[in-house]
Amino acid sequence: MEKGERSEIVSIISRKLVPYILLFGLYLISYGHLSPGGGFQGGVVLGAGIILLCLSHGIFLTEKKFPLEKIAFLEAFMITIFILLGIVGLIIAKSFLGNIFPLKKIEEVPTAGFVFLLNLVIGLKVGAGIILIFYSLCERSEK
Amino acid sequence: MIIFILILTIIMAIFALQFKNLLNAVIVLAVFSLLLSLIFYLLHAPDVAIAEAAVGAGVATTLFVVVIGKTKRKENE
Repeated sequence: MEKGERSEIVSIISRKLVPYILLFGLYLISYGHLSPGGGFQGGVVLGAGIILLCLSHGIFLTEKKFPLEKIAFLEAFMITIFILLGIVGLIIAKSFLGNIFPLKKIEEVPTAGFVFLLNLVIGLKVGAGIILIFYSLCERSEK
Repeated sequence: MIIFILILTIIMAIFALQFKNLLNAVIVLAVFSLLLSLIFYLLHAPDVAIAEAAVGAGVATTLFVVVIGKTKRKENE
């Protein structure tokens, strides 16, 4: 495959498809406690969307939009937030990752209290990790 | 139904081992992953099916293809 040779069809289709893939990832994360899905699956879908952007528009344009340092910071910051949430639960609800929010009816999205926040944190962390794997794999060979 | 898909999965696994061209092997591995996620769905585990389809058929295949693009065949050197 020649460098710089890029298919028009792949470029246009992925440009139209990437927002819906990201939206589906956010749906999987936010409905993780009600339907199949959850933090890990939604995060993987988010990362796959960004990887599709890399494959269609080149790694340089994507890295200008999502810089490596910010992604690495996000990946390390989210696990810190996860541990802090666990400690907050430990202090207030007397158990690690204990729920401090009131529980609602079962059909609504913020029904499970802490679980939505934990799913969101884990999803962002997994997505950032997968983008980080892809970035480091692409950069290693150019040196 | 499940027996048929399982036999198809085993055939795909044997193909992935037997192909000399690495790109063909990776594509067959992606088909293997999709069939596996279909089996998970039929066995009432849609959670695992989503994870298998996203990781096995999506991300892992992309990473394999990128790595194969960075390497050379031994005969071409």
